Amino acid sequence: MSDQSKLTIGYRLLRRFNYETRSAALFILPVMSVLALVTVFPIFYSLYTSFFNLKLTRPHRVPFVWLDNYIKVLSDELFWESVQRTVSFTLMSVSAIAVIALLIALLLNETFRGRRVISTIVLIPWAIPTVANGLLWKWIYDSGYGALNGVLLQLGLIDKYTVWLGDADRTLPLIANAFVWKEVPLAAILILVTMKSIPADLYRAARVDGANAFQRFVHITLPSLKPGFMLVMIYETMMAIRHFDLFFLLTEGGPGEASHVVAWQIYVETFRNLSFGTGSAMSYILAIVTFALAYFIIKMLGRRV
Amino acid sequence: MSNKSISKFARREFLKISTAASAIGAMGASGLASRAFAASGTVNFMAWSAAVDLVKSHVAEFEKSTGINVNYANAPWSNYRDNIVTKFVGGAPLDMMWVSDAWLPEFAEAGWIKPINSFDNLMKYNDEAEKFCTDSMTYKGQQYGLTYYTDFMGFMYDESQLKKAGISTPPSTWDEVTEQCLKIKAAGISDYPLMLALANESWLMNFIAAMVYSNNGRFTDEKGNSAMQSPTEGAVKALQWVVDAVNVHKIVSPACVETGELTGLKAFQSGNHVFALEPKYRMRPMNDPKQSKIAGQVKQALMPKGNGGDHNTVGWMRFHGMSAGAAANPEQAELTAKLIEWFGGRANGEYKFQKYLFTDVGAGFGVKPLFDDQDVKDAYNAYADVDMIKAQQGLALKSDVVTPWYGEWQETNASAWQTAILGRSTAQEAMDKSGTRWNDLKKEFS
Repeated sequence: MSDQSKLTIGYRLLRRFNYETRSAALFILPVMSVLALVTVFPIFYSLYTSFFNLKLTRPHRVPFVWLDNYIKVLSDELFWESVQRTVSFTLMSVSAIAVIALLIALLLNETFRGRRVISTIVLIPWAIPTVANGLLWKWIYDSGYGALNGVLLQLGLIDKYTVWLGDADRTLPLIANAFVWKEVPLAAILILVTMKSIPADLYRAARVDGANAFQRFVHITLPSLKPGFMLVMIYETMMAIRHFDLFFLLTEGGPGEASHVVAWQIYVETFRNLSFGTGSAMSYILAIVTFALAYFIIKMLGRRV
Repeated sequence: MSNKSISKFARREFLKISTAASAIGAMGASGLASRAFAASGTVNFMAWSAAVDLVKSHVAEFEKSTGINVNYANAPWSNYRDNIVTKFVGGAPLDMMWVSDAWLPEFAEAGWIKPINSFDNLMKYNDEAEKFCTDSMTYKGQQYGLTYYTDFMGFMYDESQLKKAGISTPPSTWDEVTEQCLKIKAAGISDYPLMLALANESWLMNFIAAMVYSNNGRFTDEKGNSAMQSPTEGAVKALQWVVDAVNVHKIVSPACVETGELTGLKAFQSGNHVFALEPKYRMRPMNDPKQSKIAGQVKQALMPKGNGGDHNTVGWMRFHGMSAGAAANPEQAELTAKLIEWFGGRANGEYKFQKYLFTDVGAGFGVKPLFDDQDVKDAYNAYADVDMIKAQQGLALKSDVVTPWYGEWQETNASAWQTAILGRSTAQEAMDKSGTRWNDLKKEFS
């Protein structure tokens, strides 16, 4: 290409974008560069890393292994066990969040004295930082000095202090409980907002037709809440699948393998074993599954909205 | 001038100024960075955040005495290994650093730290160091540093509670531990007389190792292959004892799997237990009235022995190491060796740092002459029996699982051992799993 034609292309490009557009692009450029550096680049770099046997403790031997890391992860029994635990945790958490948030939204949708105070109280768990939330529940569940044992003992429900997080059968439900406590307020607000948008005419018409409160709830409220529910289901499912903080703070994956979920395994593989190759592969598998699940939920709920 | 042109001018000027400012900033930053790298007479020293004030004052004395600058930085122990590995990989300026014996093979194999054998001013201290410490700093025949501190797992007991139960002497075998615990439990003195902190943290290995070694067991054989799954090697016996203690005799709380070392210490200090496995340096807070309800009552006994075992325990140490970056430059290596000597050897003729570390925070030392220091003797005898400490330290063994794959292997252990302790698998199955993982990793790393 001649210099003349290069100049012509450059001139055409300049003509195509006016001064305002060019200035705007120039101003956005620094922020976009930073975003590209700290967000886009790591995403693609971790994909690249997932094709190498990259172990920080063996920095001089980093062979390209194609899809071996993915195959290794998918053929690991421990990984599938952690998938099972992740599914259990997600089902427990999301169903509890949906039900409790609906009940709270129904309560807050009514007009009664003290509604604002209750609304504020309901929001408190959401406002507490995640780490503080984790430490709070660690203290509550502690088998030696925890508040849960103290309360149950005073109520006469137990005769001596009980082991909570150290009991493998209880660990996952207890962590799910702490997660639900933190997540319910946001879910309740989302459902409440949807509830507020239901036209009052529908309820008036239903009353005229002789529908009782339960029938109005089943035939008007619930169907109208689908958009809000969809949002809650997608958001909370993604949060639960990827959740790590409480597992780290409360049990560190234990006791034994009782709370070994996928997010925890990714952390161990990447930051404890320093195996960035398999850690990245696991992260991509988790991301793909999360996206697929979100798509499935949208399809399932979305077509009925 | 119209508003539009003002606006255009302002934007152009702003762009010019901001671009120029960025360029100047970047140049300034790179200039500062290159000065930091190029500075002569500066040693970059990284440690975990322990005894920070003491380290700072010792660094200040060094700077005053030698004229060499020291860039001292620290990070919490909990993420120190990750922090320092990132620095090594990223090529951050680093000359001297604290290293755990557990990481030595990993760091040495990666080429991040270098031996100090060529520095006579450092090697001469081996004559006065505990052999166990020198062994722990040695990998493939090369020595990688000088001792920072050393300690071992001790068997502690509350003397007054023991007497209350009508027991005059502490147990000397693990069978006697069971018997005495059952007696104490029957007397209603403690629900769980023995405190074991077996949460998934780095201490877990040391607690189990102490029990394995006192059963005359080893985790690996002479060739470094797994021996832990062998019923005759003591590891299975030791884990079985813990499983029975929790599930059969109920003398150890099932909450042990969620109890970290620090939480366990607090529980013992509160008087909830009669016996405890704890690092020796915890004797001081245990007998400190400000920190402990049972102050003055805590004594140490030799680690109980298993059938065919001895009173062995596990010992560990931390040392001052030299980075590969420092070793690559002879001048920098000399400066670094001076700082290593100042901390790990004698400073102005004395083992100052190790002594202060002991007298200030109770951390154990790895150099024999300090046992003859009157200040040290007095400090020890204020809360412990110095003769017992010497005797148990003499029976401490270097961990036989310190390898480049140690960290990875430990992740499997914690799960496997805890699963057995919870009664969900047998001790034999747990050790089989640990042993298989060990051999797999050994193969992977060879």
